[in-house]
Amino acid sequence: MKRSTPLPKETHPENRTPAPVHVRRATESDVPALVPLLVRLKRLNEEFDPMLKVRPDVEGQAESILRSEIQNPNALVLAAEGTGPDRGKVIGVVRAAIRERPFYMPETEGIILDIYLLPLYRRHGAGQYLVEHTIGELKERGAGIVTVEFPAQNEIAGRFYAKCGFRPITAHHARIL
Amino acid sequence: MDEAVPPRSRKPAAPPAAPPAESAEAEASQTEALNERAVRLAQYYRGKIETVPKVPVRSLKDFSLWYTPGIAAVSREIEKDPSRSLDLTGRWNTIAILTDGSRVLGLGNIGPQAALPVMEGKALLFKYLGGVDAVALPVDVATPEALIDTALRIAPAFGGINLEDIASPKCFQVLEELQRRLPIPVWHDDQLGTAAATLAGLINALALTGRTISSTRTVLLGAGAANLVTVRLLIRMGHDPHSITVVDSRGILHAERADIDEMQLHNRWKYRVALETDGGGRRGTVADAMAGADVVLAASTPQPGTIRPEWVQSMAPRPIVFALANPLPEIWPADAHAAGAAIVATGRSDFPNQVNNSLIFPCVFRGVLDARARSIPDEVVIAAAQELAAVTDRISPDHLLPTMDEREVFPHVAAAVAQAAVKLGIARVKASRDEFYARARDLMARPAALAQALEASHLVAPMPDEPVPSRKSR
Repeated sequence: MKRSTPLPKETHPENRTPAPVHVRRATESDVPALVPLLVRLKRLNEEFDPMLKVRPDVEGQAESILRSEIQNPNALVLAAEGTGPDRGKVIGVVRAAIRERPFYMPETEGIILDIYLLPLYRRHGAGQYLVEHTIGELKERGAGIVTVEFPAQNEIAGRFYAKCGFRPITAHHARIL
Repeated sequence: MDEAVPPRSRKPAAPPAAPPAESAEAEASQTEALNERAVRLAQYYRGKIETVPKVPVRSLKDFSLWYTPGIAAVSREIEKDPSRSLDLTGRWNTIAILTDGSRVLGLGNIGPQAALPVMEGKALLFKYLGGVDAVALPVDVATPEALIDTALRIAPAFGGINLEDIASPKCFQVLEELQRRLPIPVWHDDQLGTAAATLAGLINALALTGRTISSTRTVLLGAGAANLVTVRLLIRMGHDPHSITVVDSRGILHAERADIDEMQLHNRWKYRVALETDGGGRRGTVADAMAGADVVLAASTPQPGTIRPEWVQSMAPRPIVFALANPLPEIWPADAHAAGAAIVATGRSDFPNQVNNSLIFPCVFRGVLDARARSIPDEVVIAAAQELAAVTDRISPDHLLPTMDEREVFPHVAAAVAQAAVKLGIARVKASRDEFYARARDLMARPAALAQALEASHLVAPMPDEPVPSRKSR
């Protein structure tokens, strides 16, 4: 999801051919392939900030969270597959959720919690494609606004989401106790 | 390969590929004696280079030309046209040897003061082999940005900058940024010099074993500065990236290795190679990488046994083994030959096929300075490697590259470099190849003549620990 080339205007998932990745809803059977990808992302986050130190039981956590979210109507787990010869190989994962905003409008928010794509598949606008596809799914579930979380120190992600039209809205500060 | 030119007297033409089986002890005591002598001589001579005039000084009156008032007119000329500084001063032939002392030889981060003797030695080599005036410049900087800033600030005094002994991957960032921002050639010998010397040897090794670069499977052992650049140059020369397998201490470097994201943040040059080669289609260890490979280029741990004979046995028929770690190769040449290697090269002068950056950097700088090139792009580096390979006389499995005694080839390499710069449109001086050759030959011959004259007149003192100053006439 880092350095993807800027997408041409006709980036809307449906009218862009060929798609750089194939995205679909994840099922229970994808979990073994999704866990290592999610863990890679968490370990990457740790590289940015010691406050994001990964727990020793991260694999088990990832597995149980993915299993429960796949069943949860307010959560969204997507699996990205490669194209061509890599079709059928899971190369990326998206975790997202829907929640209500009690005080603000639009009232329904889609949150992109995690996006990870294996490095080899990050070019050709694959990251943007994945984001746009996820936004499409969140919209279908009624989201009027979409937000994304990533480590504040991850400037690459900051630039990437800026390119996708995001800007900072709230700040999330922490202090170790 | 950080090794400079060895003293000529060290050992005469070595017996081919004999492992110094005598004993490790004998080797160690020999090394110790050499070390002690180096310290003694450093104390005696107190520095290896000095400034001497290159204009006549008949009396102090001449200083009205060399200094004020006359020199003001020269300054005004340069003020009007700054590029004239390359005509009216020694800048055209003067480079800085710039280091932060963060990775000196095999000594690690020893700091700028301790790096000075090495930089002085390098300056002596630049002068003696390339006819280039080089200023040893170890600087006290804490960050790559400060080193870059320093280089930018000193550039007006120099025709080029040679970065030396800077830790990887910092060295990539520093070189890339300086190449982009400075209008003079910038070089980092541990990346480019070593890679070019390796390539030159490899070109001849491939020719001798009937291989072409496009159909070769190559393993690189070690993912340091030199090997990462070698990969880049190999691909540029037509090597299929997916037939290249790089192995580091964590095994085969590939796009899905567990540390790949961390690598993207901390070493994007290695990351790029991981993505581009993707392990050459392989995963696993050195053994997995070497099975069936045509070539192994090792620049890794200076310890025989790092490459095991059975791995060489598992390579393609008539394999090529470059064990370039210094001071000890990754495998002794005799062991590699016994395991089936057709050609073996090392970084050492006491075995055949020494891959030595001293074959490259004097020629590259001679060439870019003579052409007044604005930079040293990869095409120029490749041109140097190809020419060095081409001018090697009577190549054979035991003679891939010229030895340091065959320096008559140097001006040819310099001319090829200058010509490549002209072709690429980065040369400020346009001349024919023959003209560049003649210029390089003369400039490269002068320092040896100078040294001889200075020694003959005892202005340079004879070696204090040798009863009879032995000076072979050339």
